[in-house]
Amino acid sequence: MSTPILELRNVRASYGSIEVLHGVNLTVGRGEVVALLGPNGAGKSTLIKVASGILRPSAGQLMIAGRDATGASANALARAGLCTIPEGRGIFPNLTVRENLLMATYSGHKLSDIEQSTYARFPRLAERRSQLAGTMSGGEQQMLSLARALATDPVILLLDELSMGLAPLIVSELYQQVAAIAAEGVSVLVVEQFARTVLGVADQAVVLAHGKVQAFGKASEIGEDVLASAYLGS
Amino acid sequence: MNEDRIQTFTEEIGELKLRGARADREHWLLVLGVVGLVAGVGMAIFGGFQASGSAILEDQIAFLATGTLIGLALVIAGTALFVRYSLARFMRFWLVRLVHEHRSETDRLISALKDIESKLQQ
Repeated sequence: MSTPILELRNVRASYGSIEVLHGVNLTVGRGEVVALLGPNGAGKSTLIKVASGILRPSAGQLMIAGRDATGASANALARAGLCTIPEGRGIFPNLTVRENLLMATYSGHKLSDIEQSTYARFPRLAERRSQLAGTMSGGEQQMLSLARALATDPVILLLDELSMGLAPLIVSELYQQVAAIAAEGVSVLVVEQFARTVLGVADQAVVLAHGKVQAFGKASEIGEDVLASAYLGS
Repeated sequence: MNEDRIQTFTEEIGELKLRGARADREHWLLVLGVVGLVAGVGMAIFGGFQASGSAILEDQIAFLATGTLIGLALVIAGTALFVRYSLARFMRFWLVRLVHEHRSETDRLISALKDIESKLQQ
């Protein structure tokens, strides 16, 4: 088995004196989609913060491509190719689609190349290129955030609550895009509160509850009973 | 994705500078706030007494500038740090309490539903 591209080893994380993650282990392989599931307050977003370098773990290791990256800064990881799409999309609402894409040129890619690949992947954004991002629908905004992330040529993509506030049909369309991105070799860790929407495209799934991993395995093997026990308690 | 990209990525990760172990920053900033507050009050009082005890105007100004004014600045900065991190602590514990209560309520609800289900089956 090849070295996992992202690995959390017995990670503990806390906010002040309150520990939120109590020894979490997780691996994401190359080109794999791993779904991180769990109810509100389970520690999913905290785990994403640790994986992206925003929050330093109080114990444990963050391994990236087999190297110890514990304590690396978020911007250094982002520059190397670990891209995070935060909850709430993180686009610039007062800029147009084109200007939002311009913001991704920090990675060294030309705007014309970014636009070309973006509009090929999301034709709807081509129609909206001069529209203010904040005036687009939630689904289109999420497409823009995905497009901007992909423009940086990421190796790892961390997605936090992709489906938040979106209609099921749009969510399904976006997850098809996520599957296509993974098929190109990008490793994806996706946090999702609504399990059914993501299990269809995920290779592996991790169920987190109360800051601990309750279940880990192939997405197809995560049963309703495991999810019910994690979401409702038992 | 080609192997070159993965190779570049791996090399860049390997070259990253890692921050050393960090103590609880919030705790130390809270302590720093308290220390600043106490020291500021001390300096302000000391500066005030020294200024009032001196008949020379230049000395009075010097005591007021170095003691009282710096002391007041320390009091303001210390208070700001103390309030900021005390509030953060309080809000977090409040949030944890809410989460805990929510979980307890859910457990009670599930238990009640199970009771109803078992009674209906009888």
